[in-house]
Amino acid sequence: MINTTIAKLALQALLGRRRFFLLLAFPVLLVALVALVTALTDGDAAFDILPGLGYPLVLPLVAILAASSVLGPEVDDGSIVYLLSKPVSRYGVAISKWLVALGATLTAGALPILVASLIAGDSDRAVGMFVGAIVAGTTYSALFLAISAVTRHAVIASLMFVLIWESLLGNLFTGVAWLSIGQWGLRVGHEISDRLPDPANLPYAVLAALVVTLGGVWFAGDRLRSFSLRGED
Amino acid sequence: MSESAPDLGRSGVIHDLGYRHYSGVREGTPAIARTLFVTGLRHAYGLGRSGKSKVMPFLLLGMSLLPAAIVVGVVVLTGLGDLPVSYADYTNQTQLLVSLFAAAQAPVLFSRDLRHRSIVLYLARPLSAPMFALMRWLSLSLALLLFMLVPTLVLFLGALLAELDTGDQVAGLLKALVLQVLLATLVAGITGLISSVSLRRGFAVVGSVMVLIVLTGVVSVVQNIAAFEDADSASVAVGLFSPWSLFAGLADAWDAGVNTPAPVDGAWVPAYALVAVLLVAGCLLGLVARFRKVGSR
Repeated sequence: MINTTIAKLALQALLGRRRFFLLLAFPVLLVALVALVTALTDGDAAFDILPGLGYPLVLPLVAILAASSVLGPEVDDGSIVYLLSKPVSRYGVAISKWLVALGATLTAGALPILVASLIAGDSDRAVGMFVGAIVAGTTYSALFLAISAVTRHAVIASLMFVLIWESLLGNLFTGVAWLSIGQWGLRVGHEISDRLPDPANLPYAVLAALVVTLGGVWFAGDRLRSFSLRGED
Repeated sequence: MSESAPDLGRSGVIHDLGYRHYSGVREGTPAIARTLFVTGLRHAYGLGRSGKSKVMPFLLLGMSLLPAAIVVGVVVLTGLGDLPVSYADYTNQTQLLVSLFAAAQAPVLFSRDLRHRSIVLYLARPLSAPMFALMRWLSLSLALLLFMLVPTLVLFLGALLAELDTGDQVAGLLKALVLQVLLATLVAGITGLISSVSLRRGFAVVGSVMVLIVLTGVVSVVQNIAAFEDADSASVAVGLFSPWSLFAGLADAWDAGVNTPAPVDGAWVPAYALVAVLLVAGCLLGLVARFRKVGSR
């Protein structure tokens, strides 16, 4: 199913000059901020940056950037028709592109969270955070890939999901945790370290993350199967 | 074609097809600029564009109106003596929506003409590149100001109908209005500059979000920690680095109902105002330079 050529092309699109720096800026910013706060304060102030800023904001933003850059530019300039005119399974296209986006999300989103939480101390909690970030990052990248295959306003739509649904409403209504990818990740991370919160329950969180991941990639492939080019709106 | 005889009496006859000449007043640059401004303002809300492009701006506007309506309802029903949130603070509280609106709509005004090279058609008219950039910026600024002002006006009308003290409310509204004008020009400049440099829509949006939301998040974390560690001046100084903390700092100094982690006072107030104005000016210079460059290609 995996097509190495498509994956290679997606990787090139991802590592284009400016995009790469934008992608790099997030982890550098996060680790530098946590290191700075750790050096200047004592107590848990440094770690609080991760559940407050790194995990709910930087990780999904990296996932959005990665997922939209493996698919978005081709849809935007219409060159995706050349890809779709080749006899390659559309699911294969979706999976190959998703794997690249996933790799980027984990490297530039989840790994810095591990590094930053290790800097802040308590390696158990750091590993829990890392596992949570892997689960959430995987699910996010599949969901955002599916959104990119559906609409040209993928970035804004994904941002609204993350910022308004998960962050804004998630902070007001605890019930949103059942439909929030970030909270599922935290729930899985809670199994490793008790110091993370435990919203929802574990089997549900794992199952939901799995369903959204598989469903997202399948849906992206399905959309590519019946893809029609439209003009700018 | 056979060689035509140089008959001076009949020269140009075959070209005169009998069309009427335009003999009215030629309105020149001001009229073009005005039209461009109005079109830009309408496009920022998706008016005059496809139905799909109206969804995002009005969805965001609706979301920022909803809490205002709820607040008014609560004030009227419970008979509170004052609004639970000040006008400036309401804008501050809904900053996520304002930032998203700016990030989503700035590429509409600043990226599309450059991406599709229709900028050369605009600049073929007697309209200079700097003027074009300025008008686009004005459109986005006014669109942003309206986005912030409409919920504020709903609050204000609600307060008047609930017969709260009119003098207080008007003073609060005017303070909020001045701050909103400053914020709108600032945010429009920043997002406009980002969108005119990175032409892919997705990256312009992520770039704007990074400056408006991530940077603001970082600044507020550092501000809170510094204030907690009793380093008040450090906390205030960090506030200079993001548009929203500038807004909050000025509102705090002006007693407009917004509280920053450490009080902004003394020489910090002119510093905040100066940084905000310089940022606007810097963004405008950047925009003008950018459009000069693409216009001359």
